[in-house]
Amino acid sequence: MAASLVRFVRGGLHRSFNFANRNAVLMQARMETTTTETRPTVRPKDAVTHNQLSAFGEYVAEMLPKYVQQVQVTCFNELEVMIHPEGIIPVLTFLRDHTNAQFRNMTDLTAVDIPTRQNRFEIVYNLLSLRYNSRIRVKTYTDELTPVDSSVSVHNAANWYEREVWDMYGVFFANHPDLRRILTDYGFEGHPFRKDFPLSGYVEVRYDDEVKRVVAEPVELSQEFRKFDLNSPWEVFPAHREPKDSPKLEAGDQKVETK
Amino acid sequence: MAGLLKKTTGLVGLAVSQNPHERLRVLYAKILASLQTIPQDAAYRKYTEQFINEKINHVNTEPDVEKLEMKINCGQIEEVISQAEQELFLSRKMAEWKPWEPLIEEPPPNQWKWPI
Amino acid sequence: MASTAATRSAAGAVRVVKPIFSRDLDEAKLRVRQLYKAWYREVPNTVTVYQLDITAQQGREKVREMFFKNRHITDPRVIDMLVIKGKMEFQETINVWKQKTHIMRYFHETETPRPTDFLSKFYTGHDP
Repeated sequence: MAASLVRFVRGGLHRSFNFANRNAVLMQARMETTTTETRPTVRPKDAVTHNQLSAFGEYVAEMLPKYVQQVQVTCFNELEVMIHPEGIIPVLTFLRDHTNAQFRNMTDLTAVDIPTRQNRFEIVYNLLSLRYNSRIRVKTYTDELTPVDSSVSVHNAANWYEREVWDMYGVFFANHPDLRRILTDYGFEGHPFRKDFPLSGYVEVRYDDEVKRVVAEPVELSQEFRKFDLNSPWEVFPAHREPKDSPKLEAGDQKVETK
Repeated sequence: MAGLLKKTTGLVGLAVSQNPHERLRVLYAKILASLQTIPQDAAYRKYTEQFINEKINHVNTEPDVEKLEMKINCGQIEEVISQAEQELFLSRKMAEWKPWEPLIEEPPPNQWKWPI
Repeated sequence: MASTAATRSAAGAVRVVKPIFSRDLDEAKLRVRQLYKAWYREVPNTVTVYQLDITAQQGREKVREMFFKNRHITDPRVIDMLVIKGKMEFQETINVWKQKTHIMRYFHETETPRPTDFLSKFYTGHDP
């Protein structure tokens, strides 16, 4: 559903070509379904907002070709700008200070952990422009050991958000004025929002009458291994499914198989 | 006249400007000067020069502050001044960062693919 | 396709990574030593401030043990990350943000050691 309306404005050379190809196919599929679907619950398309956002996305990508890797508009009409981690300060400063952008509020900063990726953490910045009543989402990536530039010098609101991301995911923010834990208890080890952190945690806390204080002991029901079965029995993102029926093998290979 | 009667902008920390035209002219001239250090074909220079020139035109042709605000259509004149100050700050930073250069690094494969 | 690309990049020459602080191992070791010295000097003060029932000698042994637990690590970035976390712990300790319980957690006083050999495992009964 999302990808069908996602519009790739700009990407790598060959990659964007691939994406464009697949997107065209998906777009077609979507078109076919929407023409037949007349259910009232389907979210109506807002072509005007969509075009405005994609135009602004192209504008940003044209201004900052050094940092912007990809621009897309989601099906809920949210503009997303994917940038290289080097460009966090320039892109956020540009969005804040440029007269045609003026994204002066940072409404949220968070991270997403996707362990299968080479750079497992996605850092997400949500910005709000009061002047133009619009929002933008800036995304970048990092891994456990690569420091990310702190955006506190651009948005003061990022201070506690970055502490939260550090505490929950263990992403280190370089040049942060006061990076320390914010949600977990002193002496807590690990980063709870990482996908490899067990649901039960590593320690359990109880009051011990002999030593007259609270003690922490290793949890008995430690979950050694969490398996993430992301395949839902229901079709959540039908548009995202790789076409299964498309022939994967070349004609020559098929002949070999039949022999 | 309106500038003389105006007591407050209604915004915290934003004082009423006594001579907005002059201030804007100075700021826009500075922005254009700092844009000179950026290559001619950079999109940032192109677009910024374009709308700054438009605004200079408005400032030069319209002596009345209220009508000028209507023409620029970016809030009160004091807000326009603060926007120009920020643009000046940004244009100087941009010359330092050189964002018109080609992309530093392609994202790793499947970095932006979702769901995976 | 992704996996092949990943292996290619892993196999292909040295992947340039962004350092956290230290550019090489010696610099990282220097940072570790600085942190160790800071902890070493702080231990007697911690014992008095938190009114711990241990001697400074025991505290220093514990600090030494904690540092030696990670002695096998050679990646400067991992060392830097551990030093960063150690510094944060240190800050929490010297500013007395922690309490007695947090300090004493390092000593694992109340935990019963896990059975290791067959017989003691058998005596404790159910052990998956």
